[in-house]
Amino acid sequence: MSTSFLPCGTYHENYGQDHAWWQTRFVRGKMILLFLILFGLIPWLADSYWLSVCNQIGYTVLGALGVQLLIGFCGQVTLGHAAFLAVGAYTSTLLILELPWPAFLLDWGLAYPISILAAAVIAGLWSVLFGLPSAKVKGFYLILTTMAAQFITVDFIITQYISQIGGRGQAFSLPPGTIKVGPWVIDDDLKVYMMMLVLVIISVMGVVNLLRSRVGRAWVAIRDNDISAEVMGIHVIKYKLYAFFVAGFIGGLAGAFWISNLAAISPEHFPWFWSLWLVGVILIGGVGSIHGAIFGSVFMVVVMELLQFAVMPLADTYPKLLMDFLFIKEAVFGLAICAFMIFEPNGLSYRWWQMKNYFNLWPFSY
Amino acid sequence: MELLLMTITTGIMVGGIYALVALGWVLIYKCSGVLNLAMGEMTLIGAYVSLSFYSMGIPFVLALLISLVIGFVLGILTERIFLDKLIGEPVLTVIMVTVGLSFFFKGTVEFIWGTDTQVFTPAVFSIEPIRIGSLVIGRVYLWSFIAAIILLFIFMAFFKYTRWGLAMQATADDEMAALSIGISARFVYAAAWAIAFMAAGVGGTLLGNINGLNISVGYLGLLVLPAVVLGGLNSVPGAIVGGIIIGILQNLCGAYLDQYFPGGVKEIAPFAFMAIFLLFKPYGLWGWERIERV
Repeated sequence: MSTSFLPCGTYHENYGQDHAWWQTRFVRGKMILLFLILFGLIPWLADSYWLSVCNQIGYTVLGALGVQLLIGFCGQVTLGHAAFLAVGAYTSTLLILELPWPAFLLDWGLAYPISILAAAVIAGLWSVLFGLPSAKVKGFYLILTTMAAQFITVDFIITQYISQIGGRGQAFSLPPGTIKVGPWVIDDDLKVYMMMLVLVIISVMGVVNLLRSRVGRAWVAIRDNDISAEVMGIHVIKYKLYAFFVAGFIGGLAGAFWISNLAAISPEHFPWFWSLWLVGVILIGGVGSIHGAIFGSVFMVVVMELLQFAVMPLADTYPKLLMDFLFIKEAVFGLAICAFMIFEPNGLSYRWWQMKNYFNLWPFSY
Repeated sequence: MELLLMTITTGIMVGGIYALVALGWVLIYKCSGVLNLAMGEMTLIGAYVSLSFYSMGIPFVLALLISLVIGFVLGILTERIFLDKLIGEPVLTVIMVTVGLSFFFKGTVEFIWGTDTQVFTPAVFSIEPIRIGSLVIGRVYLWSFIAAIILLFIFMAFFKYTRWGLAMQATADDEMAALSIGISARFVYAAAWAIAFMAAGVGGTLLGNINGLNISVGYLGLLVLPAVVLGGLNSVPGAIVGGIIIGILQNLCGAYLDQYFPGGVKEIAPFAFMAIFLLFKPYGLWGWERIERV
C-alpha cells in the first residue's frame, strides 16, 4: 500500500529510482510547498492557541510513530507505549535538574539537547527490556506484557520511586529558562512548535529510511509471518528487539520534547489511556503507513478540539457538559475507534492513497 | 502465621469474585474468539446500576437482579451493534474495538455517575466480622465469596444441563461442527456477551461493597487478565483457579511486600507476576498450545 501508482509515462529504470524519496517533479514541488506551509505559513497565521494545538499534534505524531513502527511494520502489538514516553520525559527532566552540568554546556544551551538524546537512548533500552518477552510470546500475550510494562513503569516505579527523588513527592517542576536549545530559551509556543517540527521531520525521515533498508524489510517480513521470516534467515528476535529499541527511542524523544511544553511533569501525564490513545490514533490513521500516524494524529487532535468548540455554546444551558468534558472526550474517542474499525478498517491513509492514485492516473485509469 | 492464614483466606474470597469475572471473559473468548479488554468497564456498569437501584431503596438482592437483567440486555446490544460486524476480522481490529468500547463505557459511566467514591448506603453487610477460631473474616468478604460461588455453580449447571449452555459448549469446542448441526453462532455469541456482562456486573457489585465504588473498580476488572493468562485463555476451570490464585497472590504481596516496596505493590504484583509467568509458560496452566504452521 505504500507505493502509489505513477503517472502515465513515468518509468523506473533501476532500484534506486524505485526507492527514491521524491519520484517525480510534481512530488518534489508538493513537498517543498508542504515545508513552506509548515515553516512559514502556519507560524505566521496561527495564534498561540492553534500553535499549541499543532504542538499537541506533533507530540502525538512522535508517540504514534513508534507505535506504528511496532504494530504496523513489525506486527508487535503494544499497549504500553506511554511508559516509554514517561521514561524519556523523566530521564530528560532529571538530567537537567540533578546533573551538575559544566558551565560551558549550559551557556551554549546544550544541556537540554544532550538530555533529549540520553532520554531517547534510555527509553529505547527500557523498551527493549519489555520487548524481551516477544522472543517467546506473541499476539495477545505480548499485549499483556506491554500492558505490564505500562503499569510497572508508570504506576509503580515512577510514581513510587522516581517521584521521590529530591524529596519532591509528586511533580517535578521545571524552572523557566532551564529548557534551552542553543541560544534560544524555549518559552513560547512558537519555539516549541519549531522544535517539534525539527524533531518530527528528523524522526519521520529516520523511520522511513530504516523502512527501506535491510532492517525495515526484515520487520515487514516478521509482521507478515514470523515463521517464514525465520525460515528466510532473518534473526527474528534480534530484529524484533531492534524494532522495540527504535520505537522506544522515538518515544523517549517525544517524552523529552514534551517537557518543554509543560511547566511540571507528573505521572498523570502518562496514563494507560495515553498508550491506548496512541494505538487508536494509528488505527484511525491506518496501520502500516507513516502517513497513517500523521493523519491519525491530526484527525484525533483536531476532532477533539472541534468537539470542545461544539460543547462550549451548550455549556450555558448544561454546565455539566463542560465540567465533564474529559469524559465526553473519552466516550467519543471510544466510539470513533469502534466506528473506524467497523466502517473504515484501512484508516484515513487508505483514502489518501486512493485519492492520490485517482489523480495520478487521471484521466485514463487503466 | 495468623497473618498468613488470614491473608490467604481473604485472598481466596476476593479471588472468588475475580474468578466470576474471569469466567465471563473466558466464555467470550471460547465462544467467539474475542479478546475482550472492556471487562473492567463492564464490571463498572453493572456495579453502578445496582448501586443506583439500591440507593433508591430497593432491597439489595432485587437491585442485583435488576442489574443482571440490564447487563443481559446491554450484553446483547453490545454484541449486536459492535462485535457482530467484526466476525473474521484480524485479532488486533477486534481487540481495539473492545478497547474503544472500554473508553465508551468508561466515559459514559463517569459522565453519568461522576468520579467520586460512592458507597452502598445503608451498608449491605454489617461491619462486624465473623470469627472462626482465631480467624477473623470480614462479613463482606464471606458473603461476596458465597455469592460468587453460587453464581459459578449456576453458570456451570447452565452449561452442563440446559440446551443453550450445551449449544455454547459445542460452539466453543468446534464452531464448524456446531454450525453444521444447526446451532446459530450469532445466538451463541450474543449469549456469551450477555452472560459475561451479567457476571461482570455481579463481580463489580460485590467489589464495590468491599471498598466503595469508584472508577478504580474497573481496574480490578482488569485483573482478570492475569487470572485468565494464568489459567490458560480457553479453560473455564483455569479461569476459576487463576482468579483465586491471583486473589491470594495479591493479598500476600500486599501483606508481606508492602513494607519493602511502599505504595502500589498490591496493584502491580499480578501484572509483574503475569509478565514473568508468560516467559515460562505462555499458554497458562490448562490452555491449548497453538501449533503454528507456515
